[in-house]
Amino acid sequence: MNKTNASRPLAERAAAVAPEVSGLESPSTALWRYLALMGLAGLPLVFLAKDPYWLNIIAFTYLMGGLAAAWNIIGGFGGQFSLGHGVFFGIGAYATAVGTTTYGASPWLIMVPAALAAAAVSMLISWPTFRLRGPFFAIATMAFNEVAFVLANHFDSFTGGPRGIMIPFKAGFANMIFKERWQYAVLMFAFVALVIGVSVWLRRSRLGYYLLAVREDEDAARACGIDVLAIKLKGMALSAFLTAMGGTLFTMYLRFIDPPTLFTLQDVGVKFALLSLIGGVGTVAGPLLGAALIVPFENFLRAELANALPGINLAILGLLMVLAALFMKRGVVGAFEDLVAWVKRKFGGRS
Amino acid sequence: MDQILNVLVMGLLLGGVYGLVSVGLNLIFGTVRIVNFAQGELVMFGMYGSYYAYNMLGMSPYVSVFLVAPAVGLLGVLIQRLVIQPLHNESNMQIFATFGLLMMFQNIMLAFTRGEARSVGGDFGTVVIEIGDIKIGAVRLLTFVITTAITIGLHLFLTRTITGKSVRAVTQDKRAARTMGINVEKTFLMTFGIGAALAGLAGVMLTPIYSITPGVGGNFILAAFAVVVLGGLGSVWGAYLGGLIVGVVEAFAGYYIDPALRHAIWFLIFLVVLIIRPAGLMGQVGAEEVGFREQN
Repeated sequence: MNKTNASRPLAERAAAVAPEVSGLESPSTALWRYLALMGLAGLPLVFLAKDPYWLNIIAFTYLMGGLAAAWNIIGGFGGQFSLGHGVFFGIGAYATAVGTTTYGASPWLIMVPAALAAAAVSMLISWPTFRLRGPFFAIATMAFNEVAFVLANHFDSFTGGPRGIMIPFKAGFANMIFKERWQYAVLMFAFVALVIGVSVWLRRSRLGYYLLAVREDEDAARACGIDVLAIKLKGMALSAFLTAMGGTLFTMYLRFIDPPTLFTLQDVGVKFALLSLIGGVGTVAGPLLGAALIVPFENFLRAELANALPGINLAILGLLMVLAALFMKRGVVGAFEDLVAWVKRKFGGRS
Repeated sequence: MDQILNVLVMGLLLGGVYGLVSVGLNLIFGTVRIVNFAQGELVMFGMYGSYYAYNMLGMSPYVSVFLVAPAVGLLGVLIQRLVIQPLHNESNMQIFATFGLLMMFQNIMLAFTRGEARSVGGDFGTVVIEIGDIKIGAVRLLTFVITTAITIGLHLFLTRTITGKSVRAVTQDKRAARTMGINVEKTFLMTFGIGAALAGLAGVMLTPIYSITPGVGGNFILAAFAVVVLGGLGSVWGAYLGGLIVGVVEAFAGYYIDPALRHAIWFLIFLVVLIIRPAGLMGQVGAEEVGFREQN
């Protein structure tokens, strides 16, 4: 405690002051909490490893949880409500599909360069749009998503256009194509563990604090000497990078992509935001929690109701969105925190 | 030359359609700054209303509009009261909630109609007026005239009537408006209602030329946002102009470049305007921030 050199990271210094005041736990506590969360998230995989129906849902839950957590970096921590993450998702997906089918490259080798390309594109298109605030930013990102949809349909020599791209089944680790469902589930679990890990790190890093400051009050953040645009761009690039990685995994799991699967707003761009919102926007665990609730629920609705009444599953999801926006603005995590605070007030006494 | 003129007329008439679809949103988003993604679905409800009125009651769209538009307006009032008003300072949550409404409305209609496209029969859509070499669809011309009439009416309403002035006052400064004795909530309710009714009206007017599907709103919603932002938020004539620009750009791009790319091109124009001049062509500079600055 007596060493108060300014070169120590902000998070560390804040933690050293008083954990209760700064709201930040020590690095080892954070690590343990992260491991506990991922352990909990991994349980269904262990228990249902023999059931292909559930494994499919579990793998998809991990993937969507990871993608929602990636969106949450800029949308939740940074407060920049992007509806255009389908663009980055699509870059990852198309790079993977074209790279594997046309050039015979391994998806493992494509994943990182594609993610870097998505990060570069995200900075390029966000640089002008970050001038816009609130709903204008959301609408502009949505327009980018539509442009990407039109372009993907149009340049069919590269993307296959509306016919899409089919990746032939050639099982093998190098091809990222597996015979067993549980292998995919493990892969998706690794992805969500990575993204949540990045979120945990970010939440304790200087960049993370700057993002929160920008979200809370852009003008005040600027007055504090934060380069708002640079911070937003960094957050967006990180978010886009992870989203594109998710695009690669999605492509190798489905082995078929076409413009509607990649750019339909309610399945992609808005879905990432929806999962974060349901779970708790701007929290580390929220996006995964949202995915764990919504993805199986959606599967259930589709299986039970969609045959009887087409579209009714999406209508129920829409209703859920409205209700969440109205009554659960801070998501399940927020509701849980409120409950804990209420219990403490009620039964904690004056201590 | 004739070709250019033909494409131009086609574009202007298409612009009339976009303008008509956008007037409601211009009031809702442009004037009272509510991000309503479900606006296209209100147009869709107008279209289905017109369809059922025609099929069950034998009403022509030009009669049933007096029934359908107020009904959609009433739905708008309900949306405003139940969903938007509790979220009035949270534009991100408004985006969410109205997108949820979009999914709800669209898919309820999908479940209800089982996804079959409908269209209003009769020969409204087939009458063509010929002037020289230029062919003009009568319905499209009528749509254009109606758009113009509504724009004039809305302009007069917002500038000449005391109610319209109170709408503008609420946009600029809610707190000051309240101290002047304006009922802010009631003004919002009314504005949203009128905006929704105009969407319903647009839907009815489009039934003779568009086939009706549950997803038809998706064709209009981004176009409408583009028109409203392009023209200038809250500027009635700006939205009119914005509609014409989008229509003409789409027609020319579709004819001379590639029909598949026409949407991408006007999205790009929209993005450029949004970035260079977010206040739009005819909006006041800084207008994009008005109504979002305030906290109460």
